[in-house]
Amino acid sequence: MAVPEVKEKYAGRIQEVTLGAGSRGKTVAIGGESTLPFLHFEGTVANRPAIAIEVSDREPDDWSPLLKEAWGDVMGDPAKWAAKAEELGADVIALSLDSAHPERGNTGADDARKTVRKVLEATTLPLIVYGPGQKDKDNEVLVAAAEEAKGERIAIGNAEEKNYRTIVAAALANDQVVIAKSPMDVNLAKQLNVLIGDMGIPKDRIIMDPTTGALGYGVEYSYSVMERVRLAALGGDATLQQPMVLTVGYEAWRTKEARTNDEVPQEWGDWAQRAILWEANTAITLVNTGANLLVLRHPQSVALVRKAIDRLMAGA
Amino acid sequence: MPLSDDTALLDGTTAGAQAPDVAVRLEPAGVTVTVPAGSLLEDAISKAGLRVALPCGGQGRCGRCVVQVKEGSVRRRSTVRLGAEQIEEGYALACQTLVNSDAVVLLIDAEPRQERIVGGDLADKVARESVPCDRRRAPVVSAYRVVVPPPDMADNTPDFERLQREMALQYGIRRITPSLTALARLPESLRNGEWTVTAVIEQRDPDVALALDPTDSAGSYRLLDVFPGDQPPRLYGAAIDIGTTTVVAYLTDLATGEVVDGLSAYNDQIARGEDVISRIIYGKQLARRVELRERVVGTMNGLLDEMLSRKRLTRDDILAVVVAGNTTMTHLFLGLDPANIRLEPYVGAAGKFPLVPASTLSLHVHPEALVDCMPAVGAYVGGDITAGALISGMTEGEEIALFLDIGTNGEMVLGNNEWLISCACSAGPGFEGAGASSGMRAVRGAIEEVWIDPVTFEPTVTTIGGDVPRGICGSGMISLMGELMMTGIINKSGRISPDIPTKRIREGHNGLEYVVVWADDTATGERDIILDDTDIINLLRAKAAIYAGAAVLCESVGLSITDVDRVLIGGSFGKHIDVEKAIQIGLLPDLPWDRFSYLGNTSLQGAYHALVCRTCRAEIEDIASKMTYLELSADNRFMDAFTSALFLPHTDESLFPSVQQSLEARKQGVSAV
Amino acid sequence: MALSGIQIYKVLPQTNCKECGVATCLAFAMKLAARQAELSACPYVSDEAKAMLDTAAAPPIRLITLGAGDRKLEVGNETVVYRHEKTFVHQPGLFLRLPASLSDADFAAGVDKVAGYTVERVGQMLRTDGVAIEGASADAFAARVKQAVDKGLAVILLASDPAVIEAGLAAAGNTKPLIYAGAGADSAALAPLAKKYSASLTVGAAGDLEALAAATEKAVAAGAEDLVLDPGMTGWADALALPAQLRRAAIKKNFKQLGYPIIAFPGSLSDSAEEEAMLASLLIGKYAGLIVLDRFDQAVVYSLLALRQNIYTDPQKPIQVSPGLYEIGEPEPGSPLLVTTNFSLTYFSVAGEVEGSGRKAWLLVADSEGLSVLTAWAAGKFDAEAIAKAVKTTGVAEKINHKSIVLPGAVAGLSGELEEELPGWKVLVGPRESIGIPSYLKLLASQ
Ligand code: SF4
Ligand code: FES
Repeated sequence: MAVPEVKEKYAGRIQEVTLGAGSRGKTVAIGGESTLPFLHFEGTVANRPAIAIEVSDREPDDWSPLLKEAWGDVMGDPAKWAAKAEELGADVIALSLDSAHPERGNTGADDARKTVRKVLEATTLPLIVYGPGQKDKDNEVLVAAAEEAKGERIAIGNAEEKNYRTIVAAALANDQVVIAKSPMDVNLAKQLNVLIGDMGIPKDRIIMDPTTGALGYGVEYSYSVMERVRLAALGGDATLQQPMVLTVGYEAWRTKEARTNDEVPQEWGDWAQRAILWEANTAITLVNTGANLLVLRHPQSVALVRKAIDRLMAGA
Repeated sequence: MPLSDDTALLDGTTAGAQAPDVAVRLEPAGVTVTVPAGSLLEDAISKAGLRVALPCGGQGRCGRCVVQVKEGSVRRRSTVRLGAEQIEEGYALACQTLVNSDAVVLLIDAEPRQERIVGGDLADKVARESVPCDRRRAPVVSAYRVVVPPPDMADNTPDFERLQREMALQYGIRRITPSLTALARLPESLRNGEWTVTAVIEQRDPDVALALDPTDSAGSYRLLDVFPGDQPPRLYGAAIDIGTTTVVAYLTDLATGEVVDGLSAYNDQIARGEDVISRIIYGKQLARRVELRERVVGTMNGLLDEMLSRKRLTRDDILAVVVAGNTTMTHLFLGLDPANIRLEPYVGAAGKFPLVPASTLSLHVHPEALVDCMPAVGAYVGGDITAGALISGMTEGEEIALFLDIGTNGEMVLGNNEWLISCACSAGPGFEGAGASSGMRAVRGAIEEVWIDPVTFEPTVTTIGGDVPRGICGSGMISLMGELMMTGIINKSGRISPDIPTKRIREGHNGLEYVVVWADDTATGERDIILDDTDIINLLRAKAAIYAGAAVLCESVGLSITDVDRVLIGGSFGKHIDVEKAIQIGLLPDLPWDRFSYLGNTSLQGAYHALVCRTCRAEIEDIASKMTYLELSADNRFMDAFTSALFLPHTDESLFPSVQQSLEARKQGVSAV
Repeated sequence: MALSGIQIYKVLPQTNCKECGVATCLAFAMKLAARQAELSACPYVSDEAKAMLDTAAAPPIRLITLGAGDRKLEVGNETVVYRHEKTFVHQPGLFLRLPASLSDADFAAGVDKVAGYTVERVGQMLRTDGVAIEGASADAFAARVKQAVDKGLAVILLASDPAVIEAGLAAAGNTKPLIYAGAGADSAALAPLAKKYSASLTVGAAGDLEALAAATEKAVAAGAEDLVLDPGMTGWADALALPAQLRRAAIKKNFKQLGYPIIAFPGSLSDSAEEEAMLASLLIGKYAGLIVLDRFDQAVVYSLLALRQNIYTDPQKPIQVSPGLYEIGEPEPGSPLLVTTNFSLTYFSVAGEVEGSGRKAWLLVADSEGLSVLTAWAAGKFDAEAIAKAVKTTGVAEKINHKSIVLPGAVAGLSGELEEELPGWKVLVGPRESIGIPSYLKLLASQ
C-alpha cells in the first residue's frame, strides 16, 4: 500500500565548522547536515556529533567525587589531563581557564598563554578555550589564548550578548572560531548570531551554544529550543545555521542526582550508574535534537555517548 | 487636593505610633508640618496641602517626585535616576524617602501637568471622519413640541398621562416613562406654556436598551425634562474619553450633531500613578478609590465647566453623556473596585455598564442626564477600544484590518465585518516620554523629530512649536531610535556602541548615553538632553510589546501579520507618527505605507458617535459582544513573540525587508564616503 | 488536517450567545482548534458543521488504552510532530520484559519490582506501567498474566500461538492487554481474538512502511480497532528514522493506516543496561508509545521516568527556573542578597550580570509562576508576601549575617510592605534594569 511521501525538502543546511589546524594532528568538522538528527533517509549527516572533554587549568573544588575518582591526579595538571582525555576518546579538548576568575586565582594573560601552549603541546586534538565567565577576565585571557594558538584554529568562548565584541575581534584577528552563547531561547540565540555576524566574522567560524539544562532540570526546554533552531536553519534561516555545542557535563554534574548519594531516595538506584547515565542521557537527548558538539566530563559517559553515536551513524 | 491624615496612615509606610514627631518645613511655600519620624516625605507634603507629582504612583520607578532636602536627616529607600552628586546635594525621591529628624525640604517645579490643550483641531478631525451613519438625525436626546389639550371635568387624565397620550398621537412615541425632575416641572410648564410644551425625550435604541437591561422592554423613551412653550431648548451632550493620562471632552449640540467645543486636561489621577496597574494598586482601600473617583470626576467637571462657560451654557443644558475609557478607568469612574482586573484570571466587575444618572456620579450636567459608559470586552480592552473600533471602520468590509491604540497600554483589534479579536499588552511609558531620562509629553518644546548625520553623528532636531528643546516626546523617541539604529550608534540589540568616534557618546549614570542636545542649547540650560541604555531598553520593550501583541493576535487566528490589509492607528499618540521610522524600529509591521492610516483619538470620536447616533451606539454594543478577547498574560506565545521583537527591527529580519534594504544601502553609502 | 480557529468559526452560528461557556463564537472556535473544547458544548451547531468538524477533530494517532484501574495507561492521540508546537499528551508506557525462561520466583520478583517501583519527582509520583510477559504453555502463561494483573499492572502478551494468547487474554480479564505476536505474525488472523477480549493488537512489518500500512488495513478489515505498530527497528538509526516517518505520515499527511502508537524494544539493540537506557531515552524523546525494557535497574528507570516527565510537559509554559536560593560565585555570609522572579530569562539576565560583575551574591528567586518582574508585579504574583515567603522558606537568614535585601528597582514600591512583612529587615532598592547591577553592586560594596 502506498504510503504518502514524508521526506522533507529543506532549503537550508547546517554550516560546517572545522576545528583544528596547524600543529593539530587531527581536525574535527562538525555540522554540515541537511536533515534533522540521523534521518539518513532524507538527507546527509555530513559529520558525526563530536565529543569534547572538559579540562580545567585548576583543580576543580566543586566536582563530584565520582569525577575525581575517574580522573585521579591528572586533574591538577591541564596538560596531563588533556593527554589522558585524548587517550580516553575525546575528539576535542575543552580547556577552561577557570583560574583567571578573580575569586579563583585571578591569573592573567601570561598564565593563559602558558597553559594554552602546554595543552597544545600535550595533545594533538583541537581545542576549545573557555574563559572564567567574567567579562573583563574573559576578554583578557581569551585574547591571549587566541593569539597564543594562532594557526591552530581553536574555538574561544563564550561570546555573550553583553560581552562579545572583544572576543569576536580576537577570533577574527587570529583566525579562530568563536562560541556564541545565549540563554535558552531561540530568539536570543538568533540575535547573538546576527550581532556577531555584523562584526564580519565568517559563518564557518561561529558555533552557537543555546544553553542546556540537565535531565530533570530543564532539558526539555533545550530540546524544544534546539529543535526550533534546527528547523528554522533547515528551513533556510541563515542566521541559525551554526552548529551547536552544549556543555552537558557541566549541567549534568551540577544536579543532585549526579553530585551526591547523601540522603537520596533508594529508588534513585546505584550512584555511579545514575550519575553517568544522567550525563549520558542528557547528552543523547540533545544529540536527538541537533547537538553537534558535546562537552562532557566522565570517561564512562564519553564512551557510552561515543558508542551510541557510532550506532546512530551506522544507518548512513 | 490634600490627603487627609487617615489616608496617610493607610499608606502603611508611616512609622508606628511610638515614633516621635518631627517638623518638616516645605519650601518655597514656607509651610511647616509635623509628622511622626519615619514618615514618607510625600506624606508630609500631602499633609501640608502641597503636592508633588507621583507619575509612577509613588512606586519609586520614575524618579520624578524629586525634592531637595536642605536640612535634616532622611533615609532614601531608592535613588533611582539620582546621581551620586545629586544625592550629595540633598536630592531625594519624595515617595521613597523617610524623614528621621526635623527637616527643610525644597519642592521642585516639574513639567506642568494641568496644561490644557484646546481641542479645536480634534473637532475638525471629527467633522472629517466619515462613519456612515445617520448621526445628527438620531441623537440619544431630542426635543418635541407638543400641544396638549387642557384637562376638564370630563377628561381628568393627569398631566403626564395626558402628555403621553399626545406623544403617541402626534409622534407615534409610546411607552414614555418620566424622570422625577420632568414630572416636577410638568404641571407648571404645561400651564405656563398655555398647553404647549417642549418635551425633552431620551430615546435608547431598543437593541441597546435590551442589551443594557433585558428586563426593560418599556424603557426605550424617557421624558427627561420639559419646558413651557415651544422655545427651542438647548440640547447638548458631552462625549468624554477618560484616558489613563488625558481626559478629553467634546461638547456637542445634539440638535445639529455639531461639536461646539472640545477640551482636554491631564487626568488628575496621574498624581496617584501613571499607569493603570499603579492606580489599581493605589486603590486597594476604599478611601483611596473614593479619592481616585473624585480626582477623575474633578478633571471631567473642570472640562465641562470650562466649556459651558465658554459657550455660555448651564449644566442643565447637557442632557446626555457618553464616556469611553479603558476597563480600569471606567471602573474607577463608576466607583467599582478594579482589583480583580489585575489578578488572575483578570476579570472586572462588569463588561457592560448600566446607565447611571449624572447626579449619582456628581457630574456637572443635568442631574437627570444618564451617563452611558461604553462596554468593555476584557480586563485590558475597554470601552475606549470598542468605541474606537467603530470609528476605525474595520467592521465594514471583508478586508482584514488591524486597529492599534498606542499608549501606555497597547491595545489592538484584528478583524473585519465577520469577526473581531482583541488583546492588550503593557507597552510601558516608553512612548509617553515620561519614563525616559529626558522624556516629556507631546507639548511645546518637545523634540518630535531627529535626524543624525551618519558620518559626524551630529543630530538635527525639530520640536513641537519650534521652541527651544526641553525634552523628547514619544514620536521623538521613535525618530531618535530609528536614527541611532540606522547610523550604527546602537547595535541591533539596542546597545550603544562605545567605538563610535563622537563626544556625544559617553559614560553616564545608567551605562552609556547619547547626548541629543547639549545643556546650553536647551530651554532650561541645565541638563543635557540624552538617551541612555536604560531608556533604549524601555523603548525596545514598548515597541516589542506592541509588535508582539499584533503578531500573536494574527497568529491566534491563523494569519500572518503581512495578511493585514489595513493598519489603523488610534490613540493620543500625537499627530506625528512617522510610519517610516516606526517601521525601522519594528514598532509597526513592514507593509506598504499606504496601508497605514492615523485616526487620532478614536475613543473620543466613538463616544461622540454614540452620543449623536443611536445606530452607532448599537453598533458599538454589537462590536463588544462579538469581539473576542485574548488574554496575553496567560499566553506564552506572547513572551516568545516579545523576545523576538526585542531586537532592531526584529529578530526575524525577513519580516522587515524594507529596513534590511535601507540598512544595506546606508552601509554602502557610508563606505562610499 | 487541523482547522484554524477562523475556519471553524465560519461554520459556527456566529450569534455569540455564550452558552458554550466562552464569550464569543470565535473564542469557542479557537478552543476547538486548540482541542481544548468539545463541539457538543455548542447547542446550535448545524449537522453539516458537525460532520465537518468531527472529521477534522478525529485524532490523527489513535488513542490506545492498556490496563485498568489506577494504572490505566493511555497512549497515542498525539497531534504534533514537534514538541514546541503543542504538548505531547500521552507519555509512553514503560514495561519490563519477563521471559518465559524465568523461574516462577524470578518472575514474581520481576512483577514485584515493577509494581513496587514509585518515585517522587517535583511533586509527581512517577512509576513504570507494566510487564511484557513471554508466553510458554497456555496454563503457565495464564497464571503469570493473572499474577501481573492482580498486582494492577498493564500487560503485554508476548506470544504467537493463538491458544496461548487466548489463555493470556482470558486471564487478563477486562484489563485491556496488548497482544504482541512477534514481528512477522499475521495480525489479521488475531483480530477476532483481540476484538473478543477488547484487547489491542500489535501489527508489525520489518522496516517496510508500505507493508505495515497494508497490514494495519488488513487487521482493521478483520475487525481489530486498537492497533499498535512495530515497525521493526534493526538499529539505532532505524529507531529514530522509522518513528519519525510514522509520525509525519500520521500527522502531516493524516494517513490513518499508520496513525497508531509505536512499540519499541531497545534492549534487543543494546549491549548493556546503560545503552538500553540511552536508546530508550531517544525513543522517549521521539515518538515511542510503548517501550519494553529487558533490564530493570533503578538508576535506569529513574532517569527514564525523569526524562519522560520532562518531555511530556507543556511547552507553552514559560521557561522557569525553580524558585529558591541561588549562589552566585561562592557567596559569603556578608555578600548581598538580591531577589528576583523565576522567569528563566529574568533569572539568566540577573544571574549573568552578577556573575559578570565578578562579585558574589545570594540570589533569591521567588516563585512568580514563570513571569518576569513587571508582569508578575502587575498580576500580583510578585508582591511583598511572595518575597517574604521566599525569604522564609529558603532559610536564607541563617546563611547570611545581615538583614538587607535588594529589590528590583522596577518594584521599588513594594519596599514599604516588604519591610512590614519582614520585620527587622532593611529593604534596599536595586537598579531598574539588570544592566545596572554591576555598578549597583560596586556602590553597595563601597558603602
Ligand atoms: S454556544 Fe455556539 S452559538 Fe453560542 S457562543 Fe458558543 S459557539 Fe457561538
Ligand atoms: S519615583 Fe517617586 S513617584 Fe515615581
